[in-house]
Amino acid sequence: MNQIENTNENNKFLTEVFRKYYFENKYFPYLYSIEKREFGYRRFDSMVVRHLSFKNIGELVAELVRNVPLDVYYSNAYYGFPSNPINEKQWEGADLIFDIDLKDLDIPCFQDHTYYVCNLCGFVNSEHKLCVNCDRGKTSDISLPCKRCFTAIKKEAGKLHEFLRSDLGIQDKFIEIFFSGNAGFHFHVNDPSIRILDSNSRANVTDYIIGNGFMCESIGVRKYGNGFLIKLPKSGIMTGWRKKISSSLGINQKSELKLRHIVETNGGYDGFRNEINRIAKKFGVQLDSQVTNDIHRVFRLPDSINGKSGLTKMKCDDLESFNPNNDACLLSDSEVCINLKTKLKINLKNCNFKLENTIEKVPSYVAAYLICKGLATISKNQ
Amino acid sequence: MAKYPFLQEASDYIQETKFGFDEFDRPEMIHIINRAAEKLENELKGKVYSNLDEYEIEIMTFLVSLLLIKSIGLEEVSKKCSLFEAMRVEKFLSSDLSNERSSQKKRLLVEKIFQELFNINIDFDSKSSICKLSVPDYLHRASRMHEQEWKLINRSVKDGFVYLDIDEAVRLVRNELSNLIYTRIKNMKVYDVPISIKLKADELRKKYAGHYVHRNQFKILDYPPCIKHAMEAINKGENLPHSARFMLATYLLAIGKTEENVIEIFKNSPDYNEKITRYQVEHLAGKKGSHIKYSVPSCDRLKSEDLCYAVRECENLINPIQFGRRKIT
Repeated sequence: MNQIENTNENNKFLTEVFRKYYFENKYFPYLYSIEKREFGYRRFDSMVVRHLSFKNIGELVAELVRNVPLDVYYSNAYYGFPSNPINEKQWEGADLIFDIDLKDLDIPCFQDHTYYVCNLCGFVNSEHKLCVNCDRGKTSDISLPCKRCFTAIKKEAGKLHEFLRSDLGIQDKFIEIFFSGNAGFHFHVNDPSIRILDSNSRANVTDYIIGNGFMCESIGVRKYGNGFLIKLPKSGIMTGWRKKISSSLGINQKSELKLRHIVETNGGYDGFRNEINRIAKKFGVQLDSQVTNDIHRVFRLPDSINGKSGLTKMKCDDLESFNPNNDACLLSDSEVCINLKTKLKINLKNCNFKLENTIEKVPSYVAAYLICKGLATISKNQ
Repeated sequence: MAKYPFLQEASDYIQETKFGFDEFDRPEMIHIINRAAEKLENELKGKVYSNLDEYEIEIMTFLVSLLLIKSIGLEEVSKKCSLFEAMRVEKFLSSDLSNERSSQKKRLLVEKIFQELFNINIDFDSKSSICKLSVPDYLHRASRMHEQEWKLINRSVKDGFVYLDIDEAVRLVRNELSNLIYTRIKNMKVYDVPISIKLKADELRKKYAGHYVHRNQFKILDYPPCIKHAMEAINKGENLPHSARFMLATYLLAIGKTEENVIEIFKNSPDYNEKITRYQVEHLAGKKGSHIKYSVPSCDRLKSEDLCYAVRECENLINPIQFGRRKIT
């Protein structure tokens, strides 16, 4: 669902700035095997069109410039016949994609810049989850991520990158990191040996990265009657999750006695298992497992505009230096007047905007950002 | 070859000897047929047949076993015997890789079984007896195994490789070997089964056919906690995530509820829309769209999706459908 207040003026404004963007940015360098992908898009009236296919980038750009969608999606899967119904597409493989989203991280400041936008009347408040204006509408949480939020999510993304490279041994040339265009990062893995993994295998990878299902037995602690016994695995405890856990406990392949003591200190097998789960949660990455496990999903197209923010899904070559609100803000600078629904401060394209008046004149990229978030509408008086 | 009669070398041997199927009717072959029957009966009783004879006898016994299973013509017999044949091989292979002193022979064995037969590039260190294989090669096999210990997180993983001891590496290909034997039986085209084998197959069919008549008929006595939790949430008018709706609908359909029953349950959803719900439930039941009936997600999958509320009775289950059921006799 999008939060844009459905007025002719809003739609006309966004259509113009989005069209200009697609006209000027018609390359899509990170879209591979275009003829094997299914495409879809969301229109401004929220209707979703799917099962489209394009032979080349030119055809795709022509469609985007002609129809100007709010959001553009493409399949992670490669199909023999991408425009056929799902069971007749002939699946040939799919990129492995990970989605890390701010909403899944427990970031303390997140609530400080969250607004509640009524799904019925569009009224905005920053405190109530039920609309205090129309009294009928449920609200949606709209967040304007701050620098601290992005620092936290980039840290999580860094952890994921390390898992992919060091544990799963995926070469950097097969990993592409994108800012999602709103509040997250997408990791696209297009290693040919990974492409053919089925959904169960992907779930196995996701659990590995999240830290789900680590057994005490894997580092040699086994349940025995009401107690436990120690028998370290022949394949060792100094690699993968075994290493993460054993390093955290301060043990190695020769620390049977120390391990026994640690288990006893934690109150035996069950207590030790709880401790292991706590450590696993700390080292694991918070990500949406359903996204990764799905081999028929459509994802936001790299270099397309995110209709929830007006920012671009942008390739990110260096996580640390990447600044989403600057590097992914690519819409035009021409000024327009907007009606603000709430006072707020934002930073886009390295400029601070302190918006306190009901009507404000702002660059188009600020207007698009706030309209997409449901926090402003385009003013009739330009 | 005696221990691994499914290898290409064994087929080559039979071709070289120009042995014809009709020769099984010769009186001196009766001990081979009886040996094959004894092996099958062991397997049908859930035991691995450990006797090992000369390679000529083993190859012939293996061939007769396949002919017997094919002639018995019961799916359950084919599956069970394939599995136990695979377990027999697993036992020999583990022992050979652990006890064989010549590292050259060990490597040859790894090459024959893992690389030639299953196309797995496995690197075997004969000193440490540790096998190394790529993460995708591991995942293709391990993701079909339900025991928690086979999850990637519980393995020794580094730089894109999984490290297994010999027993684990051999266990990893058991299912694949079982499938290989099962497929061989399935694809066998035998027009003239020798009389002596046919008679033995008839005898075994009569003896074992009754064992499989009432299989898979169960009555559900209690819902699993994951389903109870979803039902409670929906009764309170809470908005269930898509994955929970999928689990609930597929479960209810799997235990025999009608589409109408299932739609009725979803009426409490805050965003209930009869047209959409009907389409989706009928789709899951295999009556719309792809016409594939969807299975209930495994316990493992539900754990990953935060939908698992396991209780003690859930231990060792691999799918919620196994919870609280009693066999109908």
